[in-house]
Amino acid sequence: MSLLEVRELTVRFGGLVAVSRVSFQVQPGEIVSLIGPNGAGKTTIFNAITGIHCSTEGKVCFQGAEICRWLQPLAAAGLAAVGLLTAIVLTLLLNIQSLWETAVSHHYQYLQPFPWDAAARSFIGFFTDQPGPRVILPGLIGLALGLGGAASVWQRARRAPEVAARAGLARTFQNIRLFKQMTVRENVLIGMDQHLHTKLWDAACRLPRFWREHRDATQRAEEILRFVGLDKQSDTVAENLAYGHQRRLEIARALAAQPRLLLLDEPAAGMNAAETTALMDLIRRIRDKGITVLLIEHHMKVVMGISDRIIVLDHGEKIAEGTPPEVCGNPKVIEAYLGKSDAAA
Amino acid sequence: MKILRTHWALLAIAAIIPLLDPLLPEAWQIADLMRPIFIFAILGLGVNILTGYTGLLNLGVAAFMAAGAYTYAILTCDIYPFQLGFWPACLVTFVVGIMLGVVLGLPTIRLRGDYLAIVTLGFGEIMQDVLKNLDVITKGTQGINPLPYPTFFGYRFTTDAYLPWYYLFLAILAVLVLFNRNLQRSRIGRAWVSIREDELAATCMGVNSMRMKLLAFAIGAAQCSLAGALWASFLGSSGEPGNYDFQISIIALCIVIVGGMGNLAGVLIGAVVMMGFNSIVLEKLSLFLKSHGLVSSTNVFTSPGNWKYLAYGLALILMMRFRPEGLLPSRRVKAELHREDES
Repeated sequence: MSLLEVRELTVRFGGLVAVSRVSFQVQPGEIVSLIGPNGAGKTTIFNAITGIHCSTEGKVCFQGAEICRWLQPLAAAGLAAVGLLTAIVLTLLLNIQSLWETAVSHHYQYLQPFPWDAAARSFIGFFTDQPGPRVILPGLIGLALGLGGAASVWQRARRAPEVAARAGLARTFQNIRLFKQMTVRENVLIGMDQHLHTKLWDAACRLPRFWREHRDATQRAEEILRFVGLDKQSDTVAENLAYGHQRRLEIARALAAQPRLLLLDEPAAGMNAAETTALMDLIRRIRDKGITVLLIEHHMKVVMGISDRIIVLDHGEKIAEGTPPEVCGNPKVIEAYLGKSDAAA
Repeated sequence: MKILRTHWALLAIAAIIPLLDPLLPEAWQIADLMRPIFIFAILGLGVNILTGYTGLLNLGVAAFMAAGAYTYAILTCDIYPFQLGFWPACLVTFVVGIMLGVVLGLPTIRLRGDYLAIVTLGFGEIMQDVLKNLDVITKGTQGINPLPYPTFFGYRFTTDAYLPWYYLFLAILAVLVLFNRNLQRSRIGRAWVSIREDELAATCMGVNSMRMKLLAFAIGAAQCSLAGALWASFLGSSGEPGNYDFQISIIALCIVIVGGMGNLAGVLIGAVVMMGFNSIVLEKLSLFLKSHGLVSSTNVFTSPGNWKYLAYGLALILMMRFRPEGLLPSRRVKAELHREDES
């Protein structure tokens, strides 16, 4: 079974078709490159896979299942709870003045003991007296508002980037998107966040559970930083890193999420020759750890040097797929990059 | 490391000020005037979570404070049947604050920046109007008073002795500073900052931004409500709805900005600067001028009490020009604002 399967993927922005019916598969343990001239739709495909763009036709399957949040019993209960709560709050709010007069002001004499049972009876009586306008109407409106709102929020969150991340996809960005004011270590720890379970009270009271997880996470972060060669800078603020190191940190952050598939968006952009060679080595070592890599790259040395397979896009369509030598010799690819030769025309 | 410990140093200084006070001449005694600073520092801590850490610009913080003050007043005042003690009432106020934060957070969860600021601004105005018009419960513009004094293990606070109040508020502030520090240096605080820095990248890393933002709303609002409850207990009255206007929200935001966004010591310093100027410097100055016959009540310009907003505005302009990162910036903000200096 392929790890990632993109089937007939189409992404439209208004009338503009950015990606049109693209299909490909990525097998476990491969390094696959996605290349093509500028504006070919490579990054759009990445965004569609990781759930940043949702308005897509076609399917993206990861490990045989669509990347999507299904309606779990817990989520359904949450939706129902929000609906009910809104109904109760709205019912109370709309009646609050007369409710207060009936149940509180009416029974309370200054500094006399408060008859709680009588007040409770009036409270219930207030609603049973005229259930139509006092309970059913505001309750139904509140239920509709709450359920509708919660459902629409949930619907939008179904295919959110976070869902893809939790399924085992991690990515880097073309224009580096580090958390600039956080330290290198904190950046990696954010990547790890989905595997951490410290609850609010554990953290607030610093219970042993917090310390245990804190120690483990910091240690793992150091290991990952050593793997990419940034362990000496773990207390530096990310923004102060050299450009090539920022790219490495982005990869480290993605690795911290323990992905099955790593998507790299132009990892070699802006790197010099030595940095590029080191990057190729890093990508190979990542693959050797059992992580499949899908990358977008313009740097042909990188693409030809490490890819097992190459997929070529032009104007949102897939024009070729194959091993590096096959793609190099493909006339359509040459045409897309260099234009038609006079002889052929 | 130095900046990280500054907030404990500040709290320790605050703890010894009343001990030094009797040694000073009367014109220099300030301990009695410092309680508003503590309350506004707590308000600032709430705003710091929302705006400083998570980057959610909230211009309606006064609404949380008003809700806290009124909840506390309704629960303790003897014209209502509940008549809870100080501590249970504070606890309920905290919980009400959490709920209010969630109620405001849920529908605005997808808004950011200016849009969120406008919605929260509206929320602040609505809260004032609700409190003004729901006069069966809130007594309209009168406010709810008098409130009973707090008690602590049988000890009753009174207006005669300010010291117990001083240490009560200081202790609550210290507990909240500890609470915030622990959160800041945990997975939760990290996730908040990552959302401020780059929400898309954070969600792509698997951070549940919706849940984290709601949590920030809930905890921030709860602390602001608690500040409101303490304010009401300090005044002995809920105050009138007009007291919790836009001005309060702006002062709370200024406390965080002047002190240094996202830094606990900065919030404390900000509260000292903003509230200290108002309740100590101006107060002492007018006393001094009055005792030397330099002011007359007929001339509005010479009365220091009227210089408040002039000085606030001036202070903000000077801050933004010379020290935009705040008086005690977190290392992160400093790193960003001064990166050209280093390279």
